[in-house]
Amino acid sequence: MATKKTRIKAKAKNGIVTVMALAKHPMYSGAEAKKLKVKQNFITYLKAEVSGKIVYEVTSSQFFSKNPYLKFKYKGNKGDEIVISWVDLLGNKNTSKSKAK
Amino acid sequence: MNRRKFISIGLGVFVAAIIPSSLSAVNFRDTKPKAWSLMNPLKGKKVDASSLNGINSAMKELYGTSTVIEGKVKLKAPDIAENGALVPITISSDLNAKTVALFQNANPEATVAVFNVPANGIVYYSLRIKMGQTGTVTAVVESGGKLYSATRVVKVTKGGCGG
Repeated sequence: MATKKTRIKAKAKNGIVTVMALAKHPMYSGAEAKKLKVKQNFITYLKAEVSGKIVYEVTSSQFFSKNPYLKFKYKGNKGDEIVISWVDLLGNKNTSKSKAK
Repeated sequence: MNRRKFISIGLGVFVAAIIPSSLSAVNFRDTKPKAWSLMNPLKGKKVDASSLNGINSAMKELYGTSTVIEGKVKLKAPDIAENGALVPITISSDLNAKTVALFQNANPEATVAVFNVPANGIVYYSLRIKMGQTGTVTAVVESGGKLYSATRVVKVTKGGCGG
């Protein structure tokens, strides 16, 4: 699990950074998990930080699609280092970073 | 006695120092655990997608009320989704929002996501969700103690929840 990274693309324009993130996660909902005979598991909480300040924060559910794709905007500049971290139902964690272009 | 007092003051200062940082990070699964298990009403074995009761009760659990003002929120969703496993949703608003929540009545549980908007944040959230069947998607933006909402009906031709 640790090798799976969140792909992050961020572009700055006129003081606004648009971030596109693709988290690698199967996001098994209850029904899907039952069908595939695996444990129900999905990302429950994801946040994005820039120099320690939270710019994006979501409490998620099993109804996010597989490999959740998230797009958001925040007020920032070129060169910002965006750190995205998530935690899932089974306690797995992942942190990935990328710089705004 | 003096020493004890000193310790309690120190503890108070310590707690006060911790609170601001914890305010910015909110996991709604910890603060509102009930809102995540609220079910949409069933019709036979399937979820009744014509009823908004699940959405309303989840809203009530999260915000204490289900009274909303229509408008000021933009919710972009397809009219017809060919694949229920990937329904693109975009919520945007010019309101100075505190939180943004997304509900639907096509899956067993009503709550999909709750965003905590940071100070000076831009309300522009795009994500892809699963929908088990045709249903209603509702986005709620909390701003200045009031709730603003937008609703869309998404027709799903192929269910996306293991169905």
